[in-house]
Amino acid sequence: MLKIIVVILTFIIALPAYAIDGTALLKQVDRNLSPESYESYRKLINIEPDGRKKEFTLFTVKKGVDKVASLFLAPASEKGRSTLRLGDNMWLYIPNVGKPIRITSLQSVVGGVFNNADILSLDYAAEYSVEKVEEQGNDYILSAKAKTKTVAYDRLKIWIDKSKKLPTKIECLTEASMLIKTLYFKDIKDFGDGIVRPSIIETDSPLYKGYKSVMIFAKIKKKEYKDEVFTLTFMPNMESMR
Amino acid sequence: MDCLFLKLKRFFFPLHATMQREWMRGLPLIFILVAPLLLSSIISAEEYTLDASEIEKKPYHLGGYAELRPVMFGLDKDAALYKLKFYNRREGNNIYEYNGALQLEGSLEYGISRLYVRTNTAYRKSYLGEDQQTIIQEGYLSLKPSSSLKIDAGKKTLNWGKGYAWNPVAFLDRPKDPDDPELSREGYIVLSADYIKSFQGPLKTFSFTSVLLPVYEHVNNTFGTIDRMNFAGKLYFLLYDTDIDLILFTGGSKTTRYGMDFSRNITTNLEIHGEFAWINNFTKNTIDSAGNMFQRTYDAKSYLLGIRYLTEKDATYIIEYYRNDTGFAASEMRDFFSFINTGYNSFLSSGQTAPLNKAASLTDGNYGKPTPMKDYLYLRISQKEPFDIVYFTAAITSIANMIDRSFSLSPELLYTGYTNLELRLKAIFLAGKRNSDFGEKQNNYRVELRARYYY
Repeated sequence: MLKIIVVILTFIIALPAYAIDGTALLKQVDRNLSPESYESYRKLINIEPDGRKKEFTLFTVKKGVDKVASLFLAPASEKGRSTLRLGDNMWLYIPNVGKPIRITSLQSVVGGVFNNADILSLDYAAEYSVEKVEEQGNDYILSAKAKTKTVAYDRLKIWIDKSKKLPTKIECLTEASMLIKTLYFKDIKDFGDGIVRPSIIETDSPLYKGYKSVMIFAKIKKKEYKDEVFTLTFMPNMESMR
Repeated sequence: MDCLFLKLKRFFFPLHATMQREWMRGLPLIFILVAPLLLSSIISAEEYTLDASEIEKKPYHLGGYAELRPVMFGLDKDAALYKLKFYNRREGNNIYEYNGALQLEGSLEYGISRLYVRTNTAYRKSYLGEDQQTIIQEGYLSLKPSSSLKIDAGKKTLNWGKGYAWNPVAFLDRPKDPDDPELSREGYIVLSADYIKSFQGPLKTFSFTSVLLPVYEHVNNTFGTIDRMNFAGKLYFLLYDTDIDLILFTGGSKTTRYGMDFSRNITTNLEIHGEFAWINNFTKNTIDSAGNMFQRTYDAKSYLLGIRYLTEKDATYIIEYYRNDTGFAASEMRDFFSFINTGYNSFLSSGQTAPLNKAASLTDGNYGKPTPMKDYLYLRISQKEPFDIVYFTAAITSIANMIDRSFSLSPELLYTGYTNLELRLKAIFLAGKRNSDFGEKQNNYRVELRARYYY
């Protein structure tokens, strides 16, 4: 009888460790990082090994799992440019060129270590399936695989703070697990309306030795937009959404 | 080589000794002006900040750029188009041109309305003297009663089509310069309305753009036949992750024409695009080697196919094939060049200019277009940060005439390391046999430096 109780107790104690639903955890991380639909203001800074910097300020709107659009507010040379992402489709609108051109997720409209997929990022759970969840100290470590070949990184390894359910580090990997870049999530800040998340994302890459890019969030606010805002025809009018 | 070096030195440092001394005196002042710009980008702040003032929305916006662009042309004295332009001048083997431009743009928003104006002032000093011109490239009022509807009235560029170097379906736009396709262009005065609708499912977006383009004595009079009201419409679909446009133009200033274009990402680093234009009753004016003029009317069918490919090493390839059915055949171009040569010989022997004047009247917007013939291949390879030099982009572009095998080759270097300052050094070399498209253009080569500061 005692043996049976011990076995049952062992199962009950052990159960939480195995019961972590990786997909649910990733979805929760997505929601903790941002509401499903929101507007935000960000600054991207590319930092060279000698300390020289180049900065870009962006206004971004997102709706649902697959619609993101951004407008460049600064510097003057980029002002008025806008980018749009609908699922795997991405476009760049340059006022002088006057029409949206298709761009790819691996390109970067700002140069530096962040590529277009990083700048116009969707929910992680929309693009990746969780393969494995491990525990390491205060973190869960989630191994995720891209759902389709069109996703920028084949694999992600995500360190998640157990208590806050927020990422602390993400390694972006190739199919063969070669490291492409690492994202570091820092400086948790209360943005209001229940949004408490890292306000700084730093990234470095073995492919860009000595270079660093930083994304600073200044404002994130829940907001609903009509679907028509996320269309090519609307790209020249992004400023009117501010 | 020394000779080319001296030419370049004279080109980029054209000042004589006294002026150079004045320059040297001015250097400290230049340093004082430029130093803060350099230092601000060199000093690394430990903390990252984004001030509220940086993201505050203002109801107005003012911006633009100032540009300096000296150009050196290496003339081809045996070329037909050289003879046509320089038959009564002696300019040596090189000519120099100093260009300055000031582009101003401003907008004002109030409620659902927005006023937008973009002007361009261009100054040029060349062998012909000095000239300056200011044009309003765009100036229109937008009303946006909802996110689904927008109405614009005024001067506007529409920029239809998916091609990078050419757009056969851009029925309402002034032609692009394939040597510099990203230059902003002047629009036409139009009244346009955009209606957008989004859906779930394979058809994600539908939009309809309708445009009225009046052509009268003082309105859009360079577009085509005057005293006509023209209409154009564009249906856009994002269907199965593919952009598709269906286009119609009719009205009488030009013959009715239909267009279709598409664009699609095949993989994360490969995009394909294409355009097809059908022009009803297109009239082509040609001239034979004796100077007799001909007109031929036919339905022209032009198309373009292209790809944009990004390699793992961050090199972008743009390849486009353009079949221009409104263009000239090799025999038609040969006749034109032959007529110029005959006219030039006639000028040398008797001083007669009538044949050359006749040829000149057919050059602008016709035989003298950057790519006037029927079959072209465009290739551009641009490498971001070659040899790990950040903010540098090296590119090489070639436009090849597939019929007569003549071509242009233009290497360029672009540096964008300083915020809002863009420096571009570009050369264009032309090659081709006599009587070929690029072989008969007035230059053998062109070198230009462009410094553009955005504000």
